[in-house]
Amino acid sequence: MSATGTLVELQQRCQQAILDGNALPGLFAGEGSGNGGFGIYLQAYRARLASALQDNYPVLLRAIGDDAFAALANAYITRRPSRFRSIRWFGDCLADFLTCSPEHLPHPSLVDLARMDWAMRAAFDAADAQPLGASELAALHAQDWPQHRFRLLPSLQLLRLDWQVEPIWKALDADPLAGSDEPLFLPHVLLVWRPQLECRWRSAAPLEASVLEALSTGASFAACCDLIADSGDAEPAATAAGFVLRWIADGLLARESPR
Amino acid sequence: MQEPVSGFGIGLRSEHYHDFIAAPQPVDWLEVISENYLVAGGKPLYHLDRIRRDYPMVMHGVSLSIGGSDPLDRLYLQELRSLAERIQPAWISDHLCWTGTSALNLHDLLPLPYTEACLQHLVPRVQQVQETLGRPLVLENVSSYVRYRADEMSEWEFIAELVRRTGCELLLDVNNVYVSSVNHGFVARTFIDAMPAAAVRQIHLAGHEDHGTHLIDTHDHPVCDAVWDLYAYTVDRLGRIPAMIERDDDIPPLESLLAELDRARRIAGTAAGDAKWAA
Repeated sequence: MSATGTLVELQQRCQQAILDGNALPGLFAGEGSGNGGFGIYLQAYRARLASALQDNYPVLLRAIGDDAFAALANAYITRRPSRFRSIRWFGDCLADFLTCSPEHLPHPSLVDLARMDWAMRAAFDAADAQPLGASELAALHAQDWPQHRFRLLPSLQLLRLDWQVEPIWKALDADPLAGSDEPLFLPHVLLVWRPQLECRWRSAAPLEASVLEALSTGASFAACCDLIADSGDAEPAATAAGFVLRWIADGLLARESPR
Repeated sequence: MQEPVSGFGIGLRSEHYHDFIAAPQPVDWLEVISENYLVAGGKPLYHLDRIRRDYPMVMHGVSLSIGGSDPLDRLYLQELRSLAERIQPAWISDHLCWTGTSALNLHDLLPLPYTEACLQHLVPRVQQVQETLGRPLVLENVSSYVRYRADEMSEWEFIAELVRRTGCELLLDVNNVYVSSVNHGFVARTFIDAMPAAAVRQIHLAGHEDHGTHLIDTHDHPVCDAVWDLYAYTVDRLGRIPAMIERDDDIPPLESLLAELDRARRIAGTAAGDAKWAA
């Protein structure tokens, strides 16, 4: 057998033992005798991944508490072992996992809390871009507006949430022990973005969210106006211009060329 | 611009960003965890660039899986090279280990079997990394809690042979030597004696947990006396190689780490006398 072939077999066997929690894979000298040994790797594997989930979902952790989060983490680690080079990305499918396994949460709204946690984490180290300023907007000639394609910040995410979880997220982010009322069932869009170094979020009305989605696929200002007109708005250009002004105030649009 | 590194450093952690930006700190260089900065933007890269203006840096990775049986991740190597172009590190290190196979990552530094077959597996991979990065790869000895039945040689013989065959360099983690020596019952000084001195580029000093029957390399405690003693022996044998305190958990105020670094300075000054710093 080739050198690589032997090593593959050894590593696959060792890895499977770690995934299964099997302390006796038949690979090690003095296996099963005394303390420490391979069991340290078994314990460290789950502890390390659970810690990564805690880092990525800090508000969900506060919402459900240490014990429930530990059980959830253990189940997720079993179902979704990491394929990431960097542990920073571990947990990317947690919200989908929770949707399919609601028994891990005391209330279904907490799936949306997980989505918000992940989006905030994603915005934190998303690509930089200089926000478009009001003076740069003023420099845009009137005849160029219809064909102009406003560029969104690369950190901007539009989350479709079913529950109004933002008040809970805000309260628990500020105070781990904060109490809160049960969230309302209210399908809506949450915007998460990072204008400079600090992440921001706010909800968006359905029409604004639709226009932002259109911009994300390269729609021109004129196409955005058409979209607004289709919604029954009698003054689509004024509404679109109002959106643009708000986005500039929010630091949500990017300059033409990245920094 | 790449700057030569000598003297004493610490591992840069986000808890200390403000200290390094607010005032000059008595460290000669900083080690950064490569993966923490393989991101698109935001605070990590902002702080990295800001602090790099004032301190030379070296890069230390945890994901290379140089001994893994999957092919080396070319995208990761390209990202490492891009980060190196950004911060111009004096060198780039990772661990002599494997981290997963069959496209999974266990996010641990798993020991390799110390066999001739494993050496033959490693040599072309180390060469591939060195060609991609355009510089010698610096590899660190890991702490371990198991030994494979398949082992054919000691860890120190394995490391020395890998250096001989590839020209790679070494990050000698003195704490890891100590932890493994207790766990496996070998004499730590034997390990140090076997290191090819010219290849040792950097030294790590760290703390561990003592569980009575075994030690666990946790990096959440100060360096213990036994490791300080082994460090003194290391300086005596290998000379004053750039050394640093590595702390990854229960991160204390920077002053605590600087106090430990002062102890390293005193030990190196005593142990090596007038010995010159390694270039």
